Amino acid sequence: MISSNSDALGIIFTNTYDSSVPELTARRSMASLPFAARYRLIDFILSGMVNGGIDNVSLVVRENYLSLLDHLGNGREWDLTRKYGGLNIIPPFANRGTSIYSGRVEAINTILNFLKDQKEKYVVISDSNIVSNVDFKDVIRFHMEQNADVTIVYKKGKVQVTDAQAIVENHENFFTMDLDGTKVKGFKINPEASKTEKNVSMNIYVMERELLIEEVTEAYRSGFLHFERDVFANNLDKYDIQAYEYTGYEARIMSMKDYFEENMRLLDEKNLDELFGKSPMRTKVRDDAPTRYVRGCRVDNVLAADGCVIEGQVENSVLFRGVKVGKGAKVKNAIIMQDTVVRPGAEVSYVITDKNVTIGDNKQLAGTESFPVYVAKGKTV
Amino acid sequence: MAKEMIAMLLAGGQGSRLYALTKNLAKPAVPFGGKYRIIDFPLSNCVNSGIDTVGILTQYQPLVLNEYIGNGQPWDLDRLYGGVHVLPPYQKAEGSDWYKGTANAIYQNIPFIERYEPEYVIILSGDQICKQDYNDFLNFHKEKGAEFSVAVMEVPWEEASRFGLMVTDENAKITEFQEKPKEPKSNLASMGIYIFNWDVLKKYLEEDEADPNSENDFGNNIIPNMLRDGRKMYAYNFSGYWKDVGTISSLWEANMEVLDPDGSGLNIFDENWKIYSRNSGKPGHRIDAEATVEDSLVTDGCRIHGTVKHSILFSGVSVEAGAVIQDAVIMGGAKIGKGAVVSHCIVAENVVIGAGAEVGLMPEKGQTGGVATIGSNLRIGAGAIVGPDAMVECDVKEGTKI
Repeated sequence: MISSNSDALGIIFTNTYDSSVPELTARRSMASLPFAARYRLIDFILSGMVNGGIDNVSLVVRENYLSLLDHLGNGREWDLTRKYGGLNIIPPFANRGTSIYSGRVEAINTILNFLKDQKEKYVVISDSNIVSNVDFKDVIRFHMEQNADVTIVYKKGKVQVTDAQAIVENHENFFTMDLDGTKVKGFKINPEASKTEKNVSMNIYVMERELLIEEVTEAYRSGFLHFERDVFANNLDKYDIQAYEYTGYEARIMSMKDYFEENMRLLDEKNLDELFGKSPMRTKVRDDAPTRYVRGCRVDNVLAADGCVIEGQVENSVLFRGVKVGKGAKVKNAIIMQDTVVRPGAEVSYVITDKNVTIGDNKQLAGTESFPVYVAKGKTV
Repeated sequence: MAKEMIAMLLAGGQGSRLYALTKNLAKPAVPFGGKYRIIDFPLSNCVNSGIDTVGILTQYQPLVLNEYIGNGQPWDLDRLYGGVHVLPPYQKAEGSDWYKGTANAIYQNIPFIERYEPEYVIILSGDQICKQDYNDFLNFHKEKGAEFSVAVMEVPWEEASRFGLMVTDENAKITEFQEKPKEPKSNLASMGIYIFNWDVLKKYLEEDEADPNSENDFGNNIIPNMLRDGRKMYAYNFSGYWKDVGTISSLWEANMEVLDPDGSGLNIFDENWKIYSRNSGKPGHRIDAEATVEDSLVTDGCRIHGTVKHSILFSGVSVEAGAVIQDAVIMGGAKIGKGAVVSHCIVAENVVIGAGAEVGLMPEKGQTGGVATIGSNLRIGAGAIVGPDAMVECDVKEGTKI
């Protein structure tokens, strides 16, 4: 393989953690959550893989995936329209008559035949609820240098109360690790909230394709569902599991509060630079005109995409593509998604409006910092 | 399978009256309106009108243009049969030729056109800003049973002698063509946009090529020859926005007109007639709490800390605190330093303007002032002063005045 490409294929799970932001995922998957004014969560991991020379990426989708398919198209925006590899979307029931999978083991098991046919030596597996710019070339280099069986990417940080809450009603995918140098000594599955820094897994794994096929076949036969708990944690003495520390920008979406705060955190230019400064993040192109700031408008501390028309006031807010803020309207501490219209004289603060929402003339809508009001897609207030 | 109409877009012009702006790129590739290049307008018009085959004739500094057009995907012109093709002059068995004139450029590409067996060919120009439905134009051409139609605009009589003029009868049939006449008999100016019946055009191109004294130009040769032969030629009156942006002042003016879509008629925000362009791939723009932005266009990747009034900021422009930008066109990637005052000017791509520098000057109220221009990738030192009529083609040192 030419050295500009990585000898790895990617597998991304698009629905993990869906239930931690139930409002936002009512009609879409975690992967297609709008983020940072003009992106969807999937854009970050997908761009990261492509930037890391991975050009054979499979998305394992489970439900509510129409909006994701619409966003991805044939993968052209990510340079993933390839004769070999490229973007490969794996819906449920791909090649088995079973019900929708309930764990990663089952999910990967449905694509075993596909995996057997590929030619890359390594597999990189990831969720899509974490925004980062992980350098996958470096992760794979580390994996090879350490001669590891499995490499897990982690970031040091506290386990937040919201994280702990989210996993109770969710999956087993959240864990911290005890390390000896870079070697993993133990796993804590579903840890409690912590005051001290832990090695929090980002649920990004690298392993050889052959080993993945072998382990999944075995685990599935034994009735195991969960990769981390049943495969990694049970085989610490059998396999050399290594940890790769990521020190760059991370936004982890595990609750509505996270979603609000992580969008807001990008109003800080330092954070914008950290996330976007290293390598390009690709997304679907919409051909909007530039954003128009009309005479008499007032804007303070705003992150906005193209296609907006601003006639009123906007403060501390993130505006997605095509948002209209009418004369005399006030938008404060808000996340306003694509094509939302805030009519003249309306006032909103601490709100999240989903796509195509209309806030009527002179209407007022206010949440609080800890409980922003959410307005569902297409609704008129 | 024959195509009803294909487009040939003349994009070879050097654009010498844009000086520093076209030093390294062809005029059609000059950035316009915040996220476009001039050529996006005719290309988008083609697609929006249903034309899916476009030949782009390039000659001067084609590198940027070639890369920009690529496979034509941003305009939906990546097609299996048709699509967009960049057509530079090429070497043939009997030798090679630069394009000698507009007609010769088409003549040299007769084999390209013949591949699509078109009934009609529309000739477009790559240095105009215009939103036009070519369907309406073609319908006019068909209704008149024309062999040649030209799109014309009514211009003020006092300016008419600057244009190529079409004198017509009451049925819009062209009776005479006047090229920049001293005494105009008409105020219908040619926009340089023509529809020909292909069989007729081909015949005239071949005859023209055989004439050693010809300049091989549409305006000077092909059209007069057809008139001489009494061909069926009509003038199509176009009333939308149209501007030749061949000079610094007209380019600046057209950009300013984007800011006033209702007044100027140049509406790039129309959802039903989108102008397509290649995307910059930058994240959203950010406006700081200490910034003031009014009556302006801002696009992806900009960072604004200063004051921006009645201006157009292309992708990735940064404006530092205390800087004041007014009536200005700031192209992609330019950096405006702390406290700099940038007014009534065009700043090309990736220019760095130092802290406290002054570029351009707002004219007195009611006056028209010169438009200062700074060529791409140049540096204007801190505290330097660039006058209102300046055409800057090399770096300006700190504290100096030009």
